Amino acid sequence: MQLLDIRNLTLELSTPDGVIRAVDRVNLSLREGEVRGLVGESGSGKSLIAKAIMGVLHERWKVSADRFNWCGQDLLRLPYHEQRRIISRDIAMIYQEPSRSMDPTSTIGEQLAESIPDHLLEGSWWQRGSQRKKRAIALLHKVGIRDHAAVLSSYPYQLSEGVCQKIMIAMAIAKNPKLLIADEPTTALESTTQAQLFRLLASFNQLKGTSILLISHELESVARNTDTLSVLYCGQLVEAGDTATLLKHPLHPYTNALIKSVPEFQPDLGFKQQLYALHGSIPTLQHLPIGCRLGPRCPNARKECVKTPLFERQQNHYFSCHFPLSGKDHE
Amino acid sequence: MKKLRLYYEEHNKGPFKLLWKHFSQQHFAFFGFIMLLLLLSLAVLTPFLTPHDPYLQNSQLLLVPPSWQNSGLVSYPLGTDDLGRDLMSRLMAGASYTFGLAVLAVLGSLLVGVILGALSGMSKGVKSSVFNHLLDLALTIPSLLLAIVIVAVLGPGLMNTIWAIMLALLPQFVHGVRNAIQQQLKQDYVTAYRLDGASQRQLLLFVIFPNIWEQLVLMFTMALSTAVLDIAALGFLSIGAQSPTAEWGSMIADSLDSIYLAPWTVALPGLMIFITVLAVNLVGDGIRVAMKKRREN
Amino acid sequence: MSDLIEVRGLTKSYQKARGMFSRHTVLALSNVSFRLEAGQTLAIVGETGSGKSTLAKLLVGIEQPDSGEILLAGQQLNCADYQKTNHLIRYIFQDAARSLNPNQKIADILHDVLRYSTVLSVEQRERKIADTLKLLGLLNEHGNYYPHMFSGGQLQRVALARALILDPKILILDEALTALDPSLRAQIVNLLLELQQKTGLAYLLITNQLRLVRHIADQTLVLHKGISLDYGDTSAVFENPQHEYSRKLMKSIEY
Repeated sequence: MQLLDIRNLTLELSTPDGVIRAVDRVNLSLREGEVRGLVGESGSGKSLIAKAIMGVLHERWKVSADRFNWCGQDLLRLPYHEQRRIISRDIAMIYQEPSRSMDPTSTIGEQLAESIPDHLLEGSWWQRGSQRKKRAIALLHKVGIRDHAAVLSSYPYQLSEGVCQKIMIAMAIAKNPKLLIADEPTTALESTTQAQLFRLLASFNQLKGTSILLISHELESVARNTDTLSVLYCGQLVEAGDTATLLKHPLHPYTNALIKSVPEFQPDLGFKQQLYALHGSIPTLQHLPIGCRLGPRCPNARKECVKTPLFERQQNHYFSCHFPLSGKDHE
Repeated sequence: MKKLRLYYEEHNKGPFKLLWKHFSQQHFAFFGFIMLLLLLSLAVLTPFLTPHDPYLQNSQLLLVPPSWQNSGLVSYPLGTDDLGRDLMSRLMAGASYTFGLAVLAVLGSLLVGVILGALSGMSKGVKSSVFNHLLDLALTIPSLLLAIVIVAVLGPGLMNTIWAIMLALLPQFVHGVRNAIQQQLKQDYVTAYRLDGASQRQLLLFVIFPNIWEQLVLMFTMALSTAVLDIAALGFLSIGAQSPTAEWGSMIADSLDSIYLAPWTVALPGLMIFITVLAVNLVGDGIRVAMKKRREN
Repeated sequence: MSDLIEVRGLTKSYQKARGMFSRHTVLALSNVSFRLEAGQTLAIVGETGSGKSTLAKLLVGIEQPDSGEILLAGQQLNCADYQKTNHLIRYIFQDAARSLNPNQKIADILHDVLRYSTVLSVEQRERKIADTLKLLGLLNEHGNYYPHMFSGGQLQRVALARALILDPKILILDEALTALDPSLRAQIVNLLLELQQKTGLAYLLITNQLRLVRHIADQTLVLHKGISLDYGDTSAVFENPQHEYSRKLMKSIEY
């Protein structure tokens, strides 16, 4: 079943210098049980899209879309409290720096107990307190924290980032959401903890059928842990499709550059050889190029690239480029 | 060859120009700034600007009302006080006492505070603490009480109150400068300068001071409003400026007896004090908001 | 080739106050030794708290070791004598934006570096600055900019310019590439590799990104709680980690 179906999402901000389109007509769709990756560098708008889905964008952003469906219901047309009810019931999000996302003045036990919704507790009202505690302990065990007594009574600053991130996941899955949005969950963690986290997310996806939207700027970690992938550049969706197909046959020059800038995906790149890199740098929000935003940096750019290319489709593989690369094997 | 400007943009300006841009966009703060400039020029140029001599008594024209009332005179725009002295000239002369001397007192305090604060901030351990808390004794006594004590020892007079106010303001400057310097020392670029081979003196003068002067200006404005009010209060209590000095506080005290006959002699100096303190606070607030906005961008 | 750095038995501990009256000692580094030759890259890998940043600070002179020796170009120099050592060894901070004085133009920052550590005349300084900016792909006009006008990648280049303007032989990159986006990181890595080939610079790369280490580091040192667990050629350390912790680390890049 289609959980999320977003078509032509545009996020605009009016500034003294004019209207800035931070996200320009992005399509995103997610099925039940799917793990989708959203890859983009800074300025690509991926965190903005995540916040737009959660409905927590600042008021000065103007959100418009042709379709913004969640399980068939168009969220943008619903009144505000209906939106919040549906979103808080079904979608959860975890953030980049977990120790900063938790309340520093209350213990983990209190915060975890608070995040368990009422309708999941059985029993009469005087049993609620102990029920919450039991559930909190069960959640901690589910995310792999054995020593629950010590963790429940500590404050966020006393725990390491890895443990904090696991607690955030516990708080997120407390309400059995249908979709878990992970916004750069592993950037602040050590590499050993990163591996544990990805295993945890994969287990939730397989056992409970939770869909996951994994947002990151590192292609390596996203590529191994997702089924489908969407690549963003400067607020535009450049390519989307199955991860395996995308990595083998990228059709957009930007995806190609991303793949080539990771030495791991090119086994025949010699030691200490130059990596493939696009020249130039990511444009700032105030100086976005017109048309295809990769234009100034693209090696294949031509006159037609001043017009934003339309979305084309090639067997479940979407791309938006006037001059796509011919499918070459990148095995 | 002439330098080529690549592209000119709003935020392609230096940090000071950016601060000024944010400051001038706040209309109230800018208005306060203009007021402060006017008061400062008044304080300096008073001897050349006053229409009449502030100390000339005229027994024919006692308690003349301001010119907008029926019995007022245009040549005495704001009226006269109970000894026939022109109120407007006295108010202008008062600017150099109440405001001008306050500025000097705070500047003196700032100078000593910067020296002690720099000594304290650049050293570590016991030496730093000693410099930091050297003058904390002055924190135990409120500034007004301190002034009264000093006057009791040295006798009344304007200069003695200036010393008292300087002493009372010193601890907060020392602490403030020391905290600002210690905060700067934690920054990466200070370490980078050390690694580049800069000595302590070069570090202090060329790296730390340019980065803390904005906080110093903020401390200056906050201390200035305290100083203005203190001078006026001490003048009112006849501990500071003695009559016939045209200081606003002592003008209020002198004219308090005739407040029902001639309310303008009390209201107008009070209004000047109010405008001065308001202008100083507006500017201080404006600087703080501008610094915050610049940091956010 | 001669060793540019040789470190023997470096040890450093810190006193941390615990409670009001007791202090306990934290052993940050314990008996660490390694060598670095010209034109080579040594990567130091470990999690937070392993002592990587302490090691960097000791090498650059911000802290003094409790015991052990640091030999730079065969001589035991006092690392804290910055004016002598910064012609040999320079440091790149993790956050380039925070390591530049926000109130100074780039050209002034570079002038100051030259003024504190060299005895060049004003024209010689100008020429050196122009050469360095060109080497790093920046324009002369960029000298008139303040740090806040640059993008992230350009700031890292400016930090590199400040480090390289004294023509050092060794560069310490303390997590300098961690915060960059992949495409920018690729550009900076290419620049570093090119400089290493042209001038024989040696790099001491302190990082956690094992994939990058595998690509550009000749040797790797794994640090855990201040103890050096594995040290040797990168391929040997990656394929045959000797210790439990190193094994866990190498396995984690499968994800």
